[in-house]
Amino acid sequence: MEFSYEIKDSYAEVKANGRLNMVSAPKLREFVTDVIAGGSSRIVVNLENTAFMDSSGLGALIGCLKAARQAGGDLRIAAVQPQVKMVLELTSMDRVLTSYASAEEAFSHD
Amino acid sequence: MTDVLARRSFRGLATSEAIELVHDELDGLWQDAPIVQDIDQMTFTTAVIEAASNIVQHAEPATALPVELGVEISVHAALLQARVSAFHAKPPFGPMEPVSADDDSESGRGLALIQALVTTVTFERQDATNTWVLSRTPSASAP
Repeated sequence: MEFSYEIKDSYAEVKANGRLNMVSAPKLREFVTDVIAGGSSRIVVNLENTAFMDSSGLGALIGCLKAARQAGGDLRIAAVQPQVKMVLELTSMDRVLTSYASAEEAFSHD
Repeated sequence: MTDVLARRSFRGLATSEAIELVHDELDGLWQDAPIVQDIDQMTFTTAVIEAASNIVQHAEPATALPVELGVEISVHAALLQARVSAFHAKPPFGPMEPVSADDDSESGRGLALIQALVTTVTFERQDATNTWVLSRTPSASAP
């Protein structure tokens, strides 16, 4: 899995491309932690190119959400694909990880 | 049991790299068996990867031999089945039943997820091998 980020006007967009599994989950945590440490605590994780996520990947997103909130911000997810949506719904974590159609929409009403 | 329409298998050291290889085998399996609907491919892939990851993360060697991960997946007209094994492993410790994870938990959802994704999950132990057998009735053939 590959990660990249881009600083936008009011948030940082993190793109995660590939499978978010037990291999890549720790790398996502580390990547987002570095983005937060760089001064961006409002994070959108763009999952447009994340075709697969398991419970390890879900755990990483929850860890990143907690880190963002501890830094005074928030983490939201965007462009969720069907398998990821299924995992979020089956674990009821769609209540916790707010999903938006696009990264632009995630913080547009704040 | 009905004829096997497609079959894939993997055996190797229970390491992180094995998870990617098992996932590649699953992707290949679905190409060999396009009859399986997307929803069944998605759910069964997720269940198999969860079970294999559980072995990589938690299985402990029973002897000096390292734990190996084995995955055998078969597609039948009315059944998807996977045998996910930990070879040279101690019996699993801890709960075999799903625990409820709170919203802040970063782990502990794997077993519940597997149970939600497949029709049956059974566990076998023989000769220092732990095997989880995952079965799913494909959507088209469900009653």
